[in-house]
Amino acid sequence: MSKVKTYKVIGLRSTLLSLILFLFFILLSKQFEPYNQSQLANIAMLLIAVLSITLLTGASGQISLGQGAIMAVGGYSSALLVTRLGLSMWLAFILAIFISALFGLFLGLAAARLSGPYLAGTTLVMALAIPSIAVRFETFFSGDVGLSVDYGMPPEWLTNLVGEISIEEWSLYVVLPFTAVALFAVLNLLNTRTGRTWRAVRDNEVAAALAGINIGRTKVIVFVCASGLAGLAGALYGFRGLVAPSVYPTDLSLTLLTAAVIGGLRSIGGAIFGTFVIVFLPDLIEKVTKNFAIPETVGIYLPALTIGLLLLLTVILNPRGAAGALEHIRHKKKH
Amino acid sequence: MTPFLTAFFSGTAQGAIYALVSLGLVLVWRSAGVVNFAQMGQAMFTTYIASQLIQHSYSYWSAFLIALISGAALGALVDLGLMRPLTSRKNSQLLNSQSMRTTIPVIASLGILGVLKALAGIFWAGEERGFPSPVAPNAIKIGDTSLAITGFDLFVIGVVFLTLVLTTIFFTKTGMGLAMRASALNPEVTRLSGIKVGSVRTLGWAISGIASSLAGLLVTPRTNLSPNTLDLLLIIGFTAAVVGGLSSLAGSVLGGFILGYVISFVNVYSAPENVFIAILAFLLLALFIRPQGILGSKEVRSV
Repeated sequence: MSKVKTYKVIGLRSTLLSLILFLFFILLSKQFEPYNQSQLANIAMLLIAVLSITLLTGASGQISLGQGAIMAVGGYSSALLVTRLGLSMWLAFILAIFISALFGLFLGLAAARLSGPYLAGTTLVMALAIPSIAVRFETFFSGDVGLSVDYGMPPEWLTNLVGEISIEEWSLYVVLPFTAVALFAVLNLLNTRTGRTWRAVRDNEVAAALAGINIGRTKVIVFVCASGLAGLAGALYGFRGLVAPSVYPTDLSLTLLTAAVIGGLRSIGGAIFGTFVIVFLPDLIEKVTKNFAIPETVGIYLPALTIGLLLLLTVILNPRGAAGALEHIRHKKKH
Repeated sequence: MTPFLTAFFSGTAQGAIYALVSLGLVLVWRSAGVVNFAQMGQAMFTTYIASQLIQHSYSYWSAFLIALISGAALGALVDLGLMRPLTSRKNSQLLNSQSMRTTIPVIASLGILGVLKALAGIFWAGEERGFPSPVAPNAIKIGDTSLAITGFDLFVIGVVFLTLVLTTIFFTKTGMGLAMRASALNPEVTRLSGIKVGSVRTLGWAISGIASSLAGLLVTPRTNLSPNTLDLLLIIGFTAAVVGGLSSLAGSVLGGFILGYVISFVNVYSAPENVFIAILAFLLLALFIRPQGILGSKEVRSV
């Protein structure tokens, strides 16, 4: 499929692609009013979580229906570090990556023994149980009320540099560097030896083991990496205003999986496309249906219905998602 | 009434419902190799159908029957319309890899769950509503002491017991039941002996649809009905199926009752907010100690 490239070429390409994504988001945000700027920030943070599914399911073949719960781990650890210990937001985000990765280590040790539906079910139970811990230990985690945290105000040097910026734009500026670095890391992981190892385990465990790959250890490493990413996404997601169980519901985990599948589980471009779809499609549907006399209840459930149908159609007609379809067309043209 | 007996009685009644859910999951797993995460979405949908019928002044029992029939139809439809084309397509590049063959049906069933929930919201406004029970939920009294068990609990236990007896008869005494067991054990040999394995599989989906519809009808008088109320039941049913053994029908029923007691004792002796954590802990414990389940056989589990 792809030729083996030197690390230097891969590193250069990853840096370039991450920079392009960064600039693309900035330029796009300049065209938008504040509401869509905050939606763009949502995309930038959810993209990190969707990329964790690209690693987990797309590259190594392990399914997780509980990435939302790991986001909650990242969100709570960063929010507690800021509110209880008075750490800076930036340091808290970085520590959240390590705390979630540590959590992913324990999860991975259990998950490495499971596969397919067992793993799906167990992570789904986790998606439900973890946020309920916050309610159980109410004095520490503030229960259903949650912890209020935010991105704060843009610093003076930045406003001096680029002029007055809105709160929404500031949230995008906070998130984007993390998104770019996450993209860089994922690109590097997938295009080097590590990624090839993961794909070997995904495609045939026996063959991979015969080639000298430690299956169990590989699965645990994937879980650690994916959990670090999801935790970072959760921390950024929580700092929009509130870290509480209701911010990380089970549906969030399923939405992330939907984004990854619609775009294409095995493609990073697909992850970006899928994240745009799940964030902007509901707005688009609302805009279109406003012109028609549609009962309110239909309007509320129409986005969920569309996204559900989109997921089903993708799985039936084209399980490789939008990215797979694009590749198919390109392939046809060549012949 | 001592707390122990309270927990025991409510555990039995709850466990009976969990046993049905878990039985439905295992039926599909054995016949199709898929864990159907949409199962309780299907049950939610058929319970709404029953609820609509009752609102339009049909009798409880005719609504009950129609819900079960539509449960069977929905189950068969999911298999014929989605799962069969999905798993029969061997040339797809994505399905070529080992791990994705089990993952893609899981994602498909989540898609069905999402669509069914949205449709229920659109058709029936999605707000929580009550669901009637044919037996008054009053505590039963012996002399002056009232037991911690209601007439409705007895009704639930009775219906589930009857279902389990019928299922056992079906699988041990009828040709169709034998064919289902055979094709779960070895589809190739079964096909060679002239049994249509595909139809047998669809039948498995249909019976599972009936079992989960029944669970929906029996649980909603207590929990009320909304597009999301039955989600928890799926998670409990899955845990029960894993505890008992995904490959064993008897194990799934046993697992259901065990979960019923675990949840009910946690509720009585600890606090309701501990239930989710208890389920997760119990599931992980079961997976570590006996991953194939209490009555499961080791070979069948594909790890």
